[in-house]
Amino acid sequence: MKVEGVQHIDAPRAKVYQLLVDPVGLSRFIPGCEQLERTGDNTFAATLKAGVGSIKGTFKSTVKLEDLRPNEHFRMVVDGKGAPGFVKGSGDLDLSDEDVGTSVKYSGDIQVGGTIASVGQRMIQATAKMMAVQFFTSLERDAKPSGDTSSAPPPNFFRRALSWISGWLREFFRKR
Amino acid sequence: MIPAQFDYQVPQSLEEAIRLLAQDPDSIKVLAGGHSLIPAMKLRLAQPQLLVDIGRIKSLSYIKEEGDQILIGATTTHYELESSELLKSICPLLPACAKSIGDVQVRNKGTIGGSLAHSDPAGDWPAAALALNAEMVIVGPGLERVVKAADFFVDLLTTDLKPGEILREIRIKKPTGRFCHAYQKVPHPASGFAVVGVAVNLVLNGAGDCEAATIGITGVGTKAYRANGVETALTGRALDAATIEVAAEHACDGVDANSDLYASSEYRCQLARVHTRRAIEAAVATR
Amino acid sequence: MADKYVGRRVKRTEDPRLIKGLAHYVDDIKLPDTLHVAFVRSIYAHARINNVDVSEALNVPGVVAVYTGKDVADKVGPVPCASALPDLKVPDHRVLAKDKVYFVGHPIAAVVATDRYAARDAVDLVMVDYDDLPAVVDVEQAAAGSTVIHESFGDNIAYKMSSGEGDIEAALSSADKVIKQRILHRRLAPIAMEPRGVLARYYPGEEELTVWSSTQIPHLLRTQLALMIGIPENKLRVITPEVGGGFGSKLNVYPEEALLGWISMQLGKPVKWIETRRENIQATIHGRGQVGDIEIACKNDGTLLGLRYNVIADLGAYHQLLTPAIPTLTGLMLSGAYKIPAIQINITACFTNKMATDAYRGAGRPEATYVVERALDLVAAELGVDPAEVRRKNFPAANEFPFHTATGLDYDSGDYEAALNKAQQIVDYKTLREEQKRLRAEGRLIGVGVSTYVEICALGPSQAMPAGGWESATVRIEPTGKVTILTGASPHGQGQETSFAQIAADELGVDLNDVTVIHGDTGVVQYGIGTFGSRATAVGGTAVLVAIQKLKAKASKIAAHILQTDATRLSFEGGKYSLEKAAASAAGASEPVVPVGEAPAAALPEPETNGRTSLTIQEIALAAHLAKELPPDTEPGLSATYFFEPKNFTFPFGTHIVVVEVDRETGDIKFLRYVAVDDCGKVINPMLVDGQLHGGICQSIGQAMYEEVVYDEQGQLVSGTLMDYALPRASHVPNFELDRTETPSPVNPLGIKGVGEAGTIGATPAIVGAIVDALSPFGVKHLDMPIKPETIWKAINTSH
Repeated sequence: MKVEGVQHIDAPRAKVYQLLVDPVGLSRFIPGCEQLERTGDNTFAATLKAGVGSIKGTFKSTVKLEDLRPNEHFRMVVDGKGAPGFVKGSGDLDLSDEDVGTSVKYSGDIQVGGTIASVGQRMIQATAKMMAVQFFTSLERDAKPSGDTSSAPPPNFFRRALSWISGWLREFFRKR
Repeated sequence: MIPAQFDYQVPQSLEEAIRLLAQDPDSIKVLAGGHSLIPAMKLRLAQPQLLVDIGRIKSLSYIKEEGDQILIGATTTHYELESSELLKSICPLLPACAKSIGDVQVRNKGTIGGSLAHSDPAGDWPAAALALNAEMVIVGPGLERVVKAADFFVDLLTTDLKPGEILREIRIKKPTGRFCHAYQKVPHPASGFAVVGVAVNLVLNGAGDCEAATIGITGVGTKAYRANGVETALTGRALDAATIEVAAEHACDGVDANSDLYASSEYRCQLARVHTRRAIEAAVATR
Repeated sequence: MADKYVGRRVKRTEDPRLIKGLAHYVDDIKLPDTLHVAFVRSIYAHARINNVDVSEALNVPGVVAVYTGKDVADKVGPVPCASALPDLKVPDHRVLAKDKVYFVGHPIAAVVATDRYAARDAVDLVMVDYDDLPAVVDVEQAAAGSTVIHESFGDNIAYKMSSGEGDIEAALSSADKVIKQRILHRRLAPIAMEPRGVLARYYPGEEELTVWSSTQIPHLLRTQLALMIGIPENKLRVITPEVGGGFGSKLNVYPEEALLGWISMQLGKPVKWIETRRENIQATIHGRGQVGDIEIACKNDGTLLGLRYNVIADLGAYHQLLTPAIPTLTGLMLSGAYKIPAIQINITACFTNKMATDAYRGAGRPEATYVVERALDLVAAELGVDPAEVRRKNFPAANEFPFHTATGLDYDSGDYEAALNKAQQIVDYKTLREEQKRLRAEGRLIGVGVSTYVEICALGPSQAMPAGGWESATVRIEPTGKVTILTGASPHGQGQETSFAQIAADELGVDLNDVTVIHGDTGVVQYGIGTFGSRATAVGGTAVLVAIQKLKAKASKIAAHILQTDATRLSFEGGKYSLEKAAASAAGASEPVVPVGEAPAAALPEPETNGRTSLTIQEIALAAHLAKELPPDTEPGLSATYFFEPKNFTFPFGTHIVVVEVDRETGDIKFLRYVAVDDCGKVINPMLVDGQLHGGICQSIGQAMYEEVVYDEQGQLVSGTLMDYALPRASHVPNFELDRTETPSPVNPLGIKGVGEAGTIGATPAIVGAIVDALSPFGVKHLDMPIKPETIWKAINTSH
């Protein structure tokens, strides 16, 4: 399953890049990440409690960052296994300057297996999209100079994510 | 299809339910009709430690008029809504929507509150709740708050309900004047869930023109939404075929439509446009 | 005695217990101290197993044992494949995977616990260390073979086979028209309402193993399990209690059946496993799964000259019992109901990283009928003639039977035009076509589909069958006069407890309620073959009939002896042997017969023959058991056994006509008419025949419009529950207008042809034909099943 898109982050490129390749940052952006430990150069072991609504599962995962070109590009490879099945994904993230802030272009491929693949068909794509949104919303929150830096997402975190997107969509359609 | 171990408690009152839930809001789930939660548990995609069964609290199941409002208890079943003579006469969108849900067995057991709180992207009730500008009455430890439907549905399977809170009641302002309703749905052939579901609530003026339109669409996006583009294109217009057709073209404006084995996002949008038009036509035809 | 039972709509005697929930399926059988089994199954389509760690699972309270592939590799023999094709590659199919897994759902370990919950909990704690490998999902890529599934074979091709008669090259080169079309037969899940289930109980003292299994073939299963587990066949008893549907999916020998038997022997306790629906979709055989290319050659006047079908068959990762044989059945039926002088099928059967395909209702024949009927529709479209007329033109006439086909078969009997005429008359075909034209001019998309199918049933002569094609019956009249029938056929929903009783009640002149049909217990019933291939009544029912005739031959001798006459002077009617008129008066004058010997047990009345001129069959049965006045050299008792070996298959046929309307905006399909005229030879119970057609047509509607087992590119089965895999519901199917013609089969004395699969064979091409016809204004010539609304919407919007 392909997941791709372009995300605008209201922060300078160097800062965005630094947050993205930093384990502390990553642990805050990856949805449901409960623990992230460095196990080698750019390799991390993570425990992800991922899911939506009442549907949740715990995944023991490895996260690898590859092909690092500072402030420009890296590749993230995630391999998670848990009782509901497995999730494997890799994605390329490309950063570029915009008039204000940074544009992050992402393009990835996600494979899921086990229960989630065989029963979750109608929601998998929507879930993946939602997690991408969560990832970038957290990133933006941290990247902003005035960003809220507490580790727990604010209570109305989802609503903020959404209003951000709808704002972006409104902009998008206004430009047309 | 065997769930993981869990405990089960039947509170006698909503207050007791809230107290039970407060012990550990993350690992305790509220059970009403169980038609979303139990399947997820059987697949072990949900593994709550404790189920608090509010389905047996009798005082949570009712349909009544109070002032200019219709009050619906959260554990009122789909069948009770489908068969309510009161609703058929004062708010026909609700029975129409209820009738389209699942099959008889599901409607006998499933509840409106459970469906809304689960916020399945293909559930039927969110569309109707949006079209009727419903308000959700939410109770938590020591507080009660009211959230508009438009703010209640947050994302895929995600509502504004916080851990520890329970949806207690759905309030709807009694439709007045020359209103007309319709619910149109394309059921998924396997699940019966809405591939597309369109709930239409129109108010007409004396000349038969559209005074106000609220339209909720489910099944298309990650959550049900108000079709603002369609509403705007109808409001203040005579509801002739051309106006309806042009308006319905806006059914998917700004929505990133779902795609699954049954329907691509492109086709889903087509269905949404066609059935929005048909639902508006059906609503107008009832006047 | 009232009217005969045969030919009447007798209500099923099976139904009260089924409707009241009083029937016993495997899961309803409760034995004390039963342990429960749950399986760890692969979540990868193709992977190497580095290690299976069961230590944590063993710590779960209640868990008794966990068995892995290593534990059983040299204990339980391979899962059998009964197809013996030349040069067939047969992978070593063990009951649990050891070093590699080959499909999602492949069993890896069996957890045994004191209850189902503990077993299931422990499944999650068995740690399987996999290295996943590229999955071979697309069957054409499997044939090309960049990744090889079973490494020792070198490629993924299980076998290649060509067959057919006539000069196909000449037919293709000399034809006025050659029409080509690629068609897909997608994988289907049989989805019996009752999933599989096994209960096994071993008595270590008696060294006896009893296996209750939801199967269609108790005796064949017993033989195979005995070989797999290594227990003497006569120490193994297989019982099939109530079976909630099979559709071919339980015509098999599965790893779980052998493993449960073996585990019970290890632990000395009963063990039970009931398949979940997810397991059912993943690890019970699938049906269909072919990618084919049709070439059909014809003259400009519509005369067919030749048909070639090049097909790649998706066998899945392993052979189940009949997996490789299914595509060959497609080859057998490629002549359809037509005279086609040259036919060729070229099969390339391939391994893929999926569950095995095997017999699903129709088993290779629906594919054949679909190929031929689609080809005929393409010819009709190409030549601009009515599809019914192209068919009519190529039918063999009723007097041309037995009719030899270029696929090597001899069709027994038929009158194909009569069925077509009747169906056209019911639907008022001429008016219908005019109406279609008129509505089309108004912009409405009406389509008419016609299928004139022929199928092969009553499987079959033993020469053509892997494990014998006969069927057995024992008929016994008990001392109290009740009739017991033991049939080797193992009905599981078809209603033979009723229809066999109808045959027996008529033949013996007894009340239907006095006949009990026993089946599905190898400890009670003589060896039999089973229920599949529309054979149970045509072959098994015939065995019942002939056994009764044998029994009556003996009964008439006993009657003659007691009535002191000659058997030739007795007539049998209304359940009685009576002296013919002249003989009766003579007997009345003679000395009464005085029974000799001691008085019988009090409960059994002594036959009174004093001055009698007739004896009921029940009285004879009692006399036969009392054995006090039997003719010399006559065995006591009154029973007979017969094994019926058919000389040929039977070939039922019929015409289905479907009328649909397509919604041009949404692609929705609405059935306007469904007319089926089927000829299954003589009919025992019209209600059962109608029921078979209803069910079969429903499954055809499923195949045509809804069903598809979908594996994604990585081999994950993503249509894994009934939330995504769409079975048709009552609200999806139209009213069926059923009628019949009746052409008796000369193959068996009942004249029966069989009807179990007619619906799934005859219906799909008519439905697809109707949809394609509705879309013909858009230039649509063919659409692949399942034709979903989106398929139609796209066809309308891309073909202008």
